[in-house]
Amino acid sequence: MQANAQEADAPEGAVIDSVEMSGFSPYSLSPGLQKEFDSLVGAPLNRERLNQLVSRIEGEQPEMVAAVRSVARPDGKAHVVFLVARISDDTDLSENINARYLVESVELEGPSSEVSQQLRDDLQKLVGKRLDTEEADRLRNRLEKELPGRDVARRISKGSEAGRIRVVFEVFEQPWIPFVPTKSKLVYHSEQGWSGALDFPISTSRSRHRFTAGIVFNDIDELIEEYSGFHLAFESRKIGTDKLGVRFDFARFNETWEDATLSALAISPDIPEPYRNRLTFEPTVTFAFNPSVRFTGGLSLSDMESLSHAPDSTKANAWVAGITADHTWKTSDGDASQSFQASYGLRAAVDGLDSDLFYKRHLGQASYRYRQGHSEALGSISLGYISGQPPLFERFSLGNSTTLRGFDKYDIAPTGGERMFHSSIEYRFYHVGVFFDTGSVWDRNADAKIRYSTGFGVNTDNFFLLLGFPLNGDDATPIFMTGVRF
Amino acid sequence: MIRAARRASLWQAALLTLVFVASPLAVAAQTLTINAAGDALRVQARNFNFLEGPVLARLKEGRSVRVDFELTVLSKPEGATVKQAVQGFTVSFDLWEERFAVSRSGAPPRSISHLRANDAESWCLENLTMSISSLGIGRDTPFWLRLVYRVQDLAPVAEGPGDRYTLQALIDRLSRRREEADLAKSVSGGPFKLP
Repeated sequence: MQANAQEADAPEGAVIDSVEMSGFSPYSLSPGLQKEFDSLVGAPLNRERLNQLVSRIEGEQPEMVAAVRSVARPDGKAHVVFLVARISDDTDLSENINARYLVESVELEGPSSEVSQQLRDDLQKLVGKRLDTEEADRLRNRLEKELPGRDVARRISKGSEAGRIRVVFEVFEQPWIPFVPTKSKLVYHSEQGWSGALDFPISTSRSRHRFTAGIVFNDIDELIEEYSGFHLAFESRKIGTDKLGVRFDFARFNETWEDATLSALAISPDIPEPYRNRLTFEPTVTFAFNPSVRFTGGLSLSDMESLSHAPDSTKANAWVAGITADHTWKTSDGDASQSFQASYGLRAAVDGLDSDLFYKRHLGQASYRYRQGHSEALGSISLGYISGQPPLFERFSLGNSTTLRGFDKYDIAPTGGERMFHSSIEYRFYHVGVFFDTGSVWDRNADAKIRYSTGFGVNTDNFFLLLGFPLNGDDATPIFMTGVRF
Repeated sequence: MIRAARRASLWQAALLTLVFVASPLAVAAQTLTINAAGDALRVQARNFNFLEGPVLARLKEGRSVRVDFELTVLSKPEGATVKQAVQGFTVSFDLWEERFAVSRSGAPPRSISHLRANDAESWCLENLTMSISSLGIGRDTPFWLRLVYRVQDLAPVAEGPGDRYTLQALIDRLSRRREEADLAKSVSGGPFKLP
């Protein structure tokens, strides 16, 4: 039902020669309203009076909606039609009563200059029609896709005249400090087996704060140790200002060790002993210089219970500091995008922190992604260096579902290493891609052996199914990897 | 030590006082009554409002809100469920009329508009009924009621029918952020006897 549609062009004051009610019997109205309805014939057209009658009809019949049209007759007189319909007969009206109104304008508010002309045109197609909430929500989703790093909300408000509404899409900058990505995953590696973790983040949309409870069922993918346990994290990304955030992360993990690692440790007295469980508390503060560059500093306090001499424990307490930069560029038509991310992190266990182990761990990483249509090219590089005597969870390892895909990390370096470099290039088309990984992990007094692997498979942002081949390993057996990360 | 014990007992006394003072207020604030229309058992709840706060703000932005009501008949307070009725409603706010509209989901669908907030809330309860004959309890048997409403997350997710079972949809659900309107309230009462 279109209230006050464009055809309703009988002039104000024209004599009404006939009145009609469509969709409802006027005899079902109250006697007073019937009388008012009948008295219209012969009276001059008065739109205010007609609109008042519409309101009275709706007031008497709250399960109906009504609208009025007046059509000019060739003889200068007016024909008036009341359109009445049951709300429950119209899905859009049942969903939102404002769907009865005509959209007068569609506006974009907030930082939205990058929105493509095509999408702007599609937004304007809502104008002049009744509000289609499903279409409006689809357009909102398209806006969010074209505006990475921003949130879009939709609201409607009264238009300039009765029966008309304005639709406003509000664009919000996301906070300068993002929440730490959740680590939920279910990953299978044909040499290392299953890894599974589930994070439950609790926050409101556009919230400053988030609490995360995470369970690690088993993780053999990330570190040289295999661990399970839980972690609890609280983070706030706005402490008075968008530039300042804090995070507190508490974790308790139980470790198990591969035979290859224990055997290698037995002949490596310089490497700290393995542990049966690890308790870690990490309070950190983040300062954002701008939406793209952030500095994080804080502490990492770990207590590890000895595997062979329980309940003896070793402390690894370190200052942590890091800087991260990331940015995404989009072409004006929104078809292509480039994103770049780089970070450097230092973990320094030095005097004054009551640490039993002293070390400095440097890790630099950079990645680049180019997307155009269904094509995607990715490149990444990582460099790591450790001095001193780091605990096993700090040592670098390569050969899992994300690095040197095609190798098993326990074949490369079963105790990890103090030096590391890794690079990867990948090309995907419709999420089917090929990759080439290069890397090496070694200790300070050993030679670096550079390893190469390649492979192919399906790789989306969340799901992967890959077959990796070692190109210069001792064992040429391919590695199958699959899983989800979210 | 004695001072610490005294401080603890003072805290406990203050807490107990607060609980005693607050409990009757809470009970008085939200009370359930029942009535019957034919075979239909209906419930009325005083001050059981949901068209307020963030929900109202959302409605006044022209967005609709889905509210699910759940009426449970219990054999005793917090006891076994005898019967449960669940009914969903979609509420919107007419920007020009400045009145609420409510639609009852399910069959047969029913909608109404031009309601004030209290009337819209009452209309939801009037349309949340339970068959008396299906309860299987005698006229003299006492029972208790629990009434719950949950405001569902209506974040605009324009998912097509084909999107519902995709991996991405599953991931979105698992990692979905809680919306501010993801609210719930519950009130219990009894003992009641069938009218």
